[in-house]
Amino acid sequence: MADIKRFLARRALTFIPTLIGVTFLAYIIAFAIPANPAQAWAGGIKANPEVVARIIREYHLNDPWYVQYYYFMKGILTNSIIDPRWGYPVMTYMLSRFPITFQLTLFALFFLIVLGIPLGIISALKKDSWIDALVRTWALVGVSVPIFWLGYIFIYIFFYQLGWINIAGIPYPKVHITGVPIIDALLSGEWNIVWENIKRFILPGFTLGFAGIGVIARLVRNSFLEAINSDYIYFARMRGLKYRRIMTHALRNALVPVVTVLGLQFGGLLGGAPITETVFSIPGMGRAMVDAIFSMDFPLLIAGTFLVAIIYVITNLIVDILYAVIDPRVRF
Amino acid sequence: MSSPQFREPLIEVKDLYVYFYTYAGVVKAIEDMTFTIYKGEKFCMVGETGCGKSVTSRALANIVPSPGRIVKGKVIYYRDGKPVNILELSEEQLREIRGKEIAYIVQDPSSALDPLYTIGYQIVETMIDHYTVRDQKEGYKRAVELLREVLMPDPEQRIKNYPHELSGGQRQRAVISIGLSNMPRLLIADEPTSSLDVTVQAQLLELLRRLVREHGLTLFLITHDMGVVAEMCDRVAVLYAGNIVELAPVDEIFKNPKHPYTMGLLRAVPNPQADIEKLEPIPGTIPNLIYPPPGCRFHPRCPFARDVCKREKPPLVEVSPGHYVRCWLHAE
Repeated sequence: MADIKRFLARRALTFIPTLIGVTFLAYIIAFAIPANPAQAWAGGIKANPEVVARIIREYHLNDPWYVQYYYFMKGILTNSIIDPRWGYPVMTYMLSRFPITFQLTLFALFFLIVLGIPLGIISALKKDSWIDALVRTWALVGVSVPIFWLGYIFIYIFFYQLGWINIAGIPYPKVHITGVPIIDALLSGEWNIVWENIKRFILPGFTLGFAGIGVIARLVRNSFLEAINSDYIYFARMRGLKYRRIMTHALRNALVPVVTVLGLQFGGLLGGAPITETVFSIPGMGRAMVDAIFSMDFPLLIAGTFLVAIIYVITNLIVDILYAVIDPRVRF
Repeated sequence: MSSPQFREPLIEVKDLYVYFYTYAGVVKAIEDMTFTIYKGEKFCMVGETGCGKSVTSRALANIVPSPGRIVKGKVIYYRDGKPVNILELSEEQLREIRGKEIAYIVQDPSSALDPLYTIGYQIVETMIDHYTVRDQKEGYKRAVELLREVLMPDPEQRIKNYPHELSGGQRQRAVISIGLSNMPRLLIADEPTSSLDVTVQAQLLELLRRLVREHGLTLFLITHDMGVVAEMCDRVAVLYAGNIVELAPVDEIFKNPKHPYTMGLLRAVPNPQADIEKLEPIPGTIPNLIYPPPGCRFHPRCPFARDVCKREKPPLVEVSPGHYVRCWLHAE
C-alpha cells in the first residue's frame, strides 16, 4: 500500500499543471473578448466613471494579462475575489451552487448505470435481436439529439400533458449534512422530501444522461461480447463451471473499460449540465456559469471553470484507483 | 502390440462429422471419424495445423467452438460401465462431465486463465462447481497439494498470484492442476507444451507421464511433434485434412508406416526410431476444406496417386491386428 501513497502523491502533482492550463485558457478567452467589463459591472453606459475607475483598480483590469491572471487566481485560491454582481466571494457563491449540480449529475449517472449496463448485457446476449437494434438506435439518436430539444419535449409530455413532475423550486430537507438535498433527506429520513426531489430531478437527470445511456450500452455490449468470446470463457466452459460463475467472469472482465468511460462520462455530464439546468431552470453551477457569460462576470466564470476542472481531475483519479481494484494487472 | 488391459473402451467415436458454417462456406473439418480410446491407455493424435485434431478433442465433450457444429455421428462414453451418447446429453449433464470426468489441458495457458482472478481461485472454483470439495478452505488446501504435485515452486505463495505474475511454464502447470483437480477419467491434453520452450516442454511431458501412471488416468494427447508421440503414446492416430489416415500402435507407426502421408511425415521430421539422412518436406499444401479434393483427400500431394484415388474415398481397413490404414494401396 506504500505504492498507492506514492501514486496519489504523483497524481496530485500532475493536477497543478492541468488546473493552471484550464483556468488560463478560460481566462484568455474572457480576456480576448473586446468588451468593457468594468463598465458593465458598474451598471452599463450610464455608469458613474468614478465607480468604473474603482472597479478597474480593484480587479487590476488595466494591468497586463499575466498580472491580471495572477490576481484572478490568487483571489480564487484565497477566496478573496468578490463577485462584481452579487458581492459574495466567487468561490463561496459557486460552491453553494455545487450540490445541486452534483445531485443532477448523480441522477444522470444513476440512469447510465441502471439502464446502460443491463441494456448492453442484454443486447450482447441477444445479439441481433430487437433489443440490440434498440440499443444501436439509441446510441445513434442519443449523440445526435440536442439536449435542449429533448428537454423541452420531455417537459411538454411529462409536465404539461401528464403533470407527473415538478419543474420549479428545489425541495430542501430540514437538516443540512452534506448540502446535497436528496442525500440529506435520505440521511434524515424525510421521505416526502426524497420523493419531491425525485419528481424534480428525474427528468433533467434522464435528459442529461440520455446520450450517455446509449454510449454505455454500446460499450458494455461490445466488451461483454469480447469477453464471452474469449479463450478464458471457453476454457471456463471446458472446466464445467456453472453458468452463473461463467457470467461473473465475463462481466468482471467486460467492466474494466466501462469503468473508465463512466468516469469520463461523469465529467462530461458536469460539462453538459449548463444546458439541462437552463432548460429545467435548476439553480446549479451550470446555470450560474451561463448567467455569468451573459453578464460578462468573468471572475465567476473562471471560478466555475476551476471548480469543474478540479471535479474532473478528481473523478479521473478515482477511476484510476477503481481500475486497479478491478484489474490486478494495473499497477500504480 | 496393444496389451490386454487396454481392451476395455472408455470412449468410442463413431462416424463423426463436424462442419464449420463460415461466411466463406461450409468447412468440412471432420468427416467419417471413427476411433476408440481404451481405459488406461495413452492415445495420441498427430497431424498438421488445421487438420482437425483439436476439433475432434472438443467433440468428445460436445464443446466444439462456434460456428462449428457436429452434424452427424456418435460419441459413446462408458460411464461406470454404462454407455451414454455424449451428443444426446443436456447442457447441464454435459457440464457435470466436463472438467470432472473429461478434463482438458489447453494449448495456450496465457489466454485460458482469467486475468482478473488468482490461479488458486480458478483451481478452487473448478472443484467447488463439481462438488469435489466441501468449501473454499478445503479447496485451497487441495489446490496447494495439486500445485505441489505438478512441481510448482512455492505453491502456498503461487495460489495467491494472478496469471500475469507467473511464467509460461508455471501457467501451464496451473492449467494442468486445474485439469487434474477433479481427478478426471479422461485427460485431454491439446498440444500442452507447444507454447513453451524445449526444456520446460520436456519437464512437463515427463510430469504428465508420471501423473497418468500414478493416477491411472486415460490420456488423449494431441500434438504435431513425432518426438512427443514416440515418447508418450501407446497408440497413434494420424490425421490428414479431417480424416484418420492411419491408426496403429506407436511402434508400428514408426517401424512399419503404411500410408504415404505417414511415410512423408516421418521423412519430414527427425525420426526418433530410425536413421534418416535428409529431411524431406511433403510437397504441396494442406487442402481447402470448403472444397476438399474428391476421393482421397491426400491424392493431390501423394506420389502414389492413381485414378481411383481421385474418384473414390478409400475405406479405413485393418491391415494387421490393430493397424488401420485409409489408402487405396492397402484397400484390396
